[in-house]
Amino acid sequence: MSETSTPTGVARREFLKILGATSAATAAIGCSTDRVDKLIPYLNNPDETVPMVSNYYASTCRECSASCGVLMETRDGRTFKVEGNPDHPLNRGAMCARGQAAVQGLYNPDRYRGPMVRRGNALVPTTWADALTLLSGRLAEAQTNGGAAGAVFINRHESGSFPVLLDAWLAAFGMPAHLSHDALADDAVLEANRQAYGVSWPSLAFGAAQLIVSFGADFLETWGASVPQQLDFADARAKLAGAPRFVYVGPRRSLTGCNADQWIGCRPGSELTIVNALRGNGSIGDAAQQSGVPAATLQRLKQEIATAKPSLLIASGMSGAGTALALAINEWNKSLGNVGITVLPSRPVTSLEGISPDGDVAAAVERMRAGQVPLLMVRGVNPVFTSPKSAKVAEALAKVPFKVSFSSYPDETTELCDLVLPDHHAIESWGDAQPVPQVISLQQPGMDPVYDTRQTADVLLQVGKGNAKAAAQFAAPNYMRWLIERYPGGTAAFTPALQKGLGTGTLPHRTMPARSAPPNGAPSTGAGDFSLVVYPSASLGDGSGANKPWLQEFPDPVTKVFWQSWVEVNQQTAERLGIDSGDVLRVESPQGALELPAYVFMGIHADTVAVAFGQGHTSYGRYAQDVGLNAGDLLPSSFDPASGGFRWASTKVTITRTGTFVPLVTTEGSSRQFNRGIALAIDVHELETLGTEQEKKEEMPGDASHEYLPGLRSPTAADAQGALQSSLKVKEMGMYDPNHWSGMAKRRWAMTVDLARCTGCQACVTACYAENNIPIVGAPYQQVHTAFLHGVPGGNILKGREMNWIRLERYWEGGEDGGDFEARFVPMLCQHCGNAPCEPVCPVYATYHSPDGLNVQVYNRCVGTRYCSNNCPYKVRYFNWFGYGEPHRPQYAWPERMNWQLNPDVTVRGKGVMEKCTFCVQRIREAEHRAKSEGRPVRPDEFTTSCAQACPSKAITFGDAADDQWTVAKLAQDHRGYHVFQELLNTFPAVVYLKKVNHPAPAAPAGA
Amino acid sequence: MTTRRKWAIIPGLVALGAIAVLLSAYTGATTQPDTVITDRGAWGYSAGSSPQGRAPVQPIAFPHPTHVQTLGMNCLYCHFSANKSPDPGFPAMSTCMGCHTVVGPNRPAENGRPARKSAEIAKLQQYWAKKQAIPWVRVHYVPDYVNFAHMPHVNAGVSCQTCHGQVQNMTRVYQYAPLNMGWCINCHVGNVKPQWKARFDCSVCHY
Repeated sequence: MSETSTPTGVARREFLKILGATSAATAAIGCSTDRVDKLIPYLNNPDETVPMVSNYYASTCRECSASCGVLMETRDGRTFKVEGNPDHPLNRGAMCARGQAAVQGLYNPDRYRGPMVRRGNALVPTTWADALTLLSGRLAEAQTNGGAAGAVFINRHESGSFPVLLDAWLAAFGMPAHLSHDALADDAVLEANRQAYGVSWPSLAFGAAQLIVSFGADFLETWGASVPQQLDFADARAKLAGAPRFVYVGPRRSLTGCNADQWIGCRPGSELTIVNALRGNGSIGDAAQQSGVPAATLQRLKQEIATAKPSLLIASGMSGAGTALALAINEWNKSLGNVGITVLPSRPVTSLEGISPDGDVAAAVERMRAGQVPLLMVRGVNPVFTSPKSAKVAEALAKVPFKVSFSSYPDETTELCDLVLPDHHAIESWGDAQPVPQVISLQQPGMDPVYDTRQTADVLLQVGKGNAKAAAQFAAPNYMRWLIERYPGGTAAFTPALQKGLGTGTLPHRTMPARSAPPNGAPSTGAGDFSLVVYPSASLGDGSGANKPWLQEFPDPVTKVFWQSWVEVNQQTAERLGIDSGDVLRVESPQGALELPAYVFMGIHADTVAVAFGQGHTSYGRYAQDVGLNAGDLLPSSFDPASGGFRWASTKVTITRTGTFVPLVTTEGSSRQFNRGIALAIDVHELETLGTEQEKKEEMPGDASHEYLPGLRSPTAADAQGALQSSLKVKEMGMYDPNHWSGMAKRRWAMTVDLARCTGCQACVTACYAENNIPIVGAPYQQVHTAFLHGVPGGNILKGREMNWIRLERYWEGGEDGGDFEARFVPMLCQHCGNAPCEPVCPVYATYHSPDGLNVQVYNRCVGTRYCSNNCPYKVRYFNWFGYGEPHRPQYAWPERMNWQLNPDVTVRGKGVMEKCTFCVQRIREAEHRAKSEGRPVRPDEFTTSCAQACPSKAITFGDAADDQWTVAKLAQDHRGYHVFQELLNTFPAVVYLKKVNHPAPAAPAGA
Repeated sequence: MTTRRKWAIIPGLVALGAIAVLLSAYTGATTQPDTVITDRGAWGYSAGSSPQGRAPVQPIAFPHPTHVQTLGMNCLYCHFSANKSPDPGFPAMSTCMGCHTVVGPNRPAENGRPARKSAEIAKLQQYWAKKQAIPWVRVHYVPDYVNFAHMPHVNAGVSCQTCHGQVQNMTRVYQYAPLNMGWCINCHVGNVKPQWKARFDCSVCHY
């Protein structure tokens, strides 16, 4: 009976010991949710805040020069989302991707924590007191030794009071007025507009036009005030039969070009010749020869422009032809009688007034090189990165004895400076702007500063007080008081205006300093077979977006490539040279060479290659550094003497194959639809017949006689009600019974997407990331366990592990023969199918259909079999391959302080969990709770999803399709409506797409 | 002999294991050093894998009975947003100090009440003097994937005591209810009070 008689195995006592220990451990940590959490109370409760209830502060977006109005959603002291201000005259509630990503600049993990000073070769932290003493000392020194007159201050362009304060401050210290720089500004067009209309940027009435012709002007991306232009353009296209036809002429089919009904590909720089020929100032034949466009095409365009009244003609001055082209276009609009109808100088975008051209910055750089600048100050601009490498800005900066940066980020320019006085982010700052005449857009902080930064305006006031002669001028205790003192109407007017973020009146504005002669006026040509087009990236802009991971994980709207640089090569040319997408090409200009993977593209002229600008940072934080290559390295530093605008497309390059291959980081599976009926379009003349055809198709195959729920069909719910001969009794239907006391099944949440409006800009994608805590997966540091792709940006995406709940699919139609083609954009998100293929395959009921029509994913039920994703025909389910949401993992997507942005209403998903679009269920439940506590039903159109809210085309509509009072219920019955894959797969989606409407050339035969 | 022993041992071990697991689940909270087992209330049946009954020691032994019963303060005086927010609201230090600036640690004898010295009020005033927040230990907790909102419950007439127990009698607050899903659903389907029944679809709480 002794234990030793047991022949083999663990001794009994040992086993019991282990068992005992195990249960003790289980008891201690077990399945218990017991964890020690601390509740830290406020010392003093902030006024007017309720915990877990958002406050919205109206402010102004500073991500580009346009100054859209924003509402900063702030909860418990943290601003976590930026939304458009519906009352703002520019953006009317819409918000572009770059504006949405502002919060990632605010919480950026690579921001300076406080002031920095140069010690030897490094910038080291210092205190504000020491930093300001140093600055004051240097300013006094410059004043006494007479060097102040040579000082240079380059500021990011903004309208409003700050430039006025800055000029006054500079004058007080004997320094010349500042340069107000915007690397994206189209200086040629601004100059031409000033000459023709007296304003820098007249607003454009797309809706009033019968025909829009753009000569390379990308008004949906970075050209001018893109959000208001997109709103107007989408509204114009939504007129359907009365909508303008749009022709895009340019060497590369940009996103704007992809929205055109016709693309005329020409050689870069030939736009002016084309315009002159079309106006009768030259022969069509010569123009055809020079531009590479068939004469017949030009002839037809000439006729079209002559007959369409009114029309809207616009041109980009960045295309190489410069100011002459912009002036010619303005003349042409005048002679066609378009001014006052489609071009409205009486309603200018005033925020674009007063931009110093690129040539001024280049001239200042030359003065630095000559040793004439004793003091340089930069704020919000990065000339070392945005100027081409051949301009050798870094070398010129080395000649400046003392350089001050007010940048909050370790960008290329700031890293060369001697003193860094980090500015508040716009979300932490006071300010104002003048977006349109008589409207003041106010800017206020949404929260306390994240780091030990100081608003530059406050720094100026403080330093100004130390200047004995000018102290009285800067007596205001801080910039907020300074603004209020100067606000038209004073405090009495300021306070109510601040609530709305908008006031009336005109702010004093600075007088623009005289333009300097740009250093290099001669266009450089280079000797290669290909013209190079460098264009600002739609998401990264002038490169300032590159440190915001939402903008990095933002597929280029046209090529769908991201986390990378690429060179676009024409399809026929590629075939001729044997180039495939991903083949690394050496692109060489006289200024430099880059090795870039090729992207074979139909939308580029045969003799042209194109590279996007914005990648290739050598510093600027973990998301920007060493991602892609800088296209500026290829460009000569060349400026148009008439306007000082930088020539973006001015050089020739050679391309050679290197023999290596780099896979393109892309979310695109196929660029063709193969008759799958995903993105449908009709020609405008088919609109009339569409209604009757739709009536006939009302009886869908396979669903002959079923009683469905009101609104969209939902066989799952119908089955639960016994309509499909199920044996359930009413009692067993539970909440799926429309008469159930919960009333859940009375609703059917649904969405319509109007493809006639959608421009493919992808603002919805970023809005979704912001709302739903979607992790980014492509950052270099996240690729740690990815074999062969260690540290490669986008490595996870190369393995198909991207995480974008809503994505823009872009399909090409036609063009296989090298002719014109059509681009179609489809926002693809979870279709919340009434008969969802993902639901029955889940072994743990983690995904199921809710009574109110949602396809629900319950994260805490999910065990990660991924069966649902495999069975989803729309490919809209995304799996957490790594612990993107778990702070201790190397793939954590929100490194410290980026996690402050997380939406507290949405679960952060852990490793091994499937996730997908929820139709913003948190917003649905919040609206239901709010309505219930106010004792009323949810009002029609009371709330909407994040994507629909942001959409600058107003293409997305969300709501209850079962209640006719909601807009979506009406739109879902539109004759243009269709479901993706419904007829193939019987999925009964809750997303209704409305067909795109094409406007073929009047003379062209139907369907062309 | 060996066979007989084996047949006795194996089920025995299995049974032991099962008992250990069950015990561990039920008594999980007892192993916490700072926890005392208190009244489990009416919810004992579903207490498995729940820290129900946990009553952590707080940095200041805040006496709810004194404030609620003796002074007659309403729950919403301190937990001010329970009826208008998902979060019940937690009193700021200034709320405490609104009274405790005047009501100090030393109370002289008056109106027939004896003098008393309160070390706890002294602690509070020390925190306040140092402008430090009191690091209260959280008692009630649901996981991140549960979106529990106080507002609709309070507005539906569910009293604080229904879920939090007789806090007005608790000298140290403990977790009265198990706060696990079975307990939630039990009420949502109308088993506790028919008029309290509410939607019990997954997506009502999990998103």
